[in-house]
Amino acid sequence: MTILSTKNLTKTYGKKTALSQINIEIPRGRIIGLLGPNGSGKSTFIKLAAGLLVPTDGEIIIAGEAPGVDTKAKVSYLSERTYLNDWMRVSEIIAFFEDFYEDFNRIKAENMLKDLNINPDDRLKTMSKGTKEKVQLILVMSRQAQLYLLDEPIGGVDPAARDYILNTIITNYKEDAAVIISTHLIADIEQILDDIIFINQGELVMSSSVDEIREAHNKSVDGLFREVFKC
Amino acid sequence: MLGKLIKHETRATSRIFLPLYGALLILTIFTKLALAFGAPDFFSDNVATNPVIEVVLGISFTLYFIAVVALSVMTLVMIIQRFYKNLFTDEGYLMFSLPVKTWELVLSKLLVGLIWSAVCTLMIVISFFILSLGSFTMMDLTQGISMAYTEFYSTFGTSLNVLIFEIMMLIVVSTISSILMIYVSIAIGQLFNQHRIVASFGAYIVITIALQIIGSILMAIFALGNLDAVISQGQDGEAMQMIHLLINGSTLCNVILCVGFYFATQYIMKNRLNLE
Repeated sequence: MTILSTKNLTKTYGKKTALSQINIEIPRGRIIGLLGPNGSGKSTFIKLAAGLLVPTDGEIIIAGEAPGVDTKAKVSYLSERTYLNDWMRVSEIIAFFEDFYEDFNRIKAENMLKDLNINPDDRLKTMSKGTKEKVQLILVMSRQAQLYLLDEPIGGVDPAARDYILNTIITNYKEDAAVIISTHLIADIEQILDDIIFINQGELVMSSSVDEIREAHNKSVDGLFREVFKC
Repeated sequence: MLGKLIKHETRATSRIFLPLYGALLILTIFTKLALAFGAPDFFSDNVATNPVIEVVLGISFTLYFIAVVALSVMTLVMIIQRFYKNLFTDEGYLMFSLPVKTWELVLSKLLVGLIWSAVCTLMIVISFFILSLGSFTMMDLTQGISMAYTEFYSTFGTSLNVLIFEIMMLIVVSTISSILMIYVSIAIGQLFNQHRIVASFGAYIVITIALQIIGSILMAIFALGNLDAVISQGQDGEAMQMIHLLINGSTLCNVILCVGFYFATQYIMKNRLNLE
């Protein structure tokens, strides 16, 4: 069953085209890597799915609906920005998420904080950028969402935490949920991906399962990426 | 969800406002005590005051004045900052991915902004009242008020209540429209790809100028239409009628502005949002 589908999805900013005529279907139960060079339209795609942008043309459907209040309740979105208020304590942000998202699981969040040695009483102001990113990812993964949109989730965290986070992603999502991860750190996440979508300059270059790539091209995703996007 | 938004908005703003209100109250009480004990006859010129007490009073009055101004400025700054920073900077990524409607976001900011404006006014009134305690009695106050009522009735033949109510309405509505005008300017600024804050200021100035022009034209039409009343200034009843018309007309214009600003803001946020 499809969790996300697009039909001729197009987004332009003024004269600049960020996404053009994208048609994809994303099934439930998969981890999808949304891969492409900088400025290829990855973030635009994710923001459209998160309902932070409105398509210029075409449509995007999530769990049967156009992005809105209902889809936002089912979608857990990790932005590339650190979007948390500086003055808040971690425990206050947990209360915030608990208030607005019915599918938020406080116990899960508290356990993950403990695993990563983050004190819930700390204020975000006192944290490093990497720790803030960890907190944000914990919040996002503590939801029992149907679709996770992770925009550059591991960019700023250390390799040890990276493994923990990837592990959390694999173990935390339910069978009927899908995870879309946008990144250019392909080698790091390759082992957890089921499918990949390559986009470049706003256009869909390739959409395939990781197994197919390995069979057809006899290459790793990272290797194929380097070949396709060779400068 | 609107209730939850209001709750969290109040929480985010009260941590700034409550300490300020506390500071104002403490300064008020301190000034009042200094006045009461140090110089009970401070306001009558012929009594010489102790120079030390004069200095203390000077400082506390200055601090008090600063607190009043700071409170008013801070209220305005917070109204702007909460809308801009919380919705259109990085924090907006969180706010716009919450399962809430866009109008709920706008309304929650507006309502909390309004509440703080009202509380700010109330706090300043209370503080003036505390300072002036003892310089009049409750009897003076009630007598003064009832005299104003009878005098007004005997001159104009209507109750003062109606006029007060109309003025209150105008104040509330024009406060809302001025907040929404800030919101719509910020939202218009978001339509630009660069220099969004500058664009917001620009939008605010353009709207102000446009409103001035429209206002002058409306006033001119109003004056021409009521030429008789303007000329026959002597007759109190007619003059009063004109004042009523003027107040209610302004209220109506402000209501129209509110609706326009609100929907424009919401439209931009819903359909043209593009966070940096």
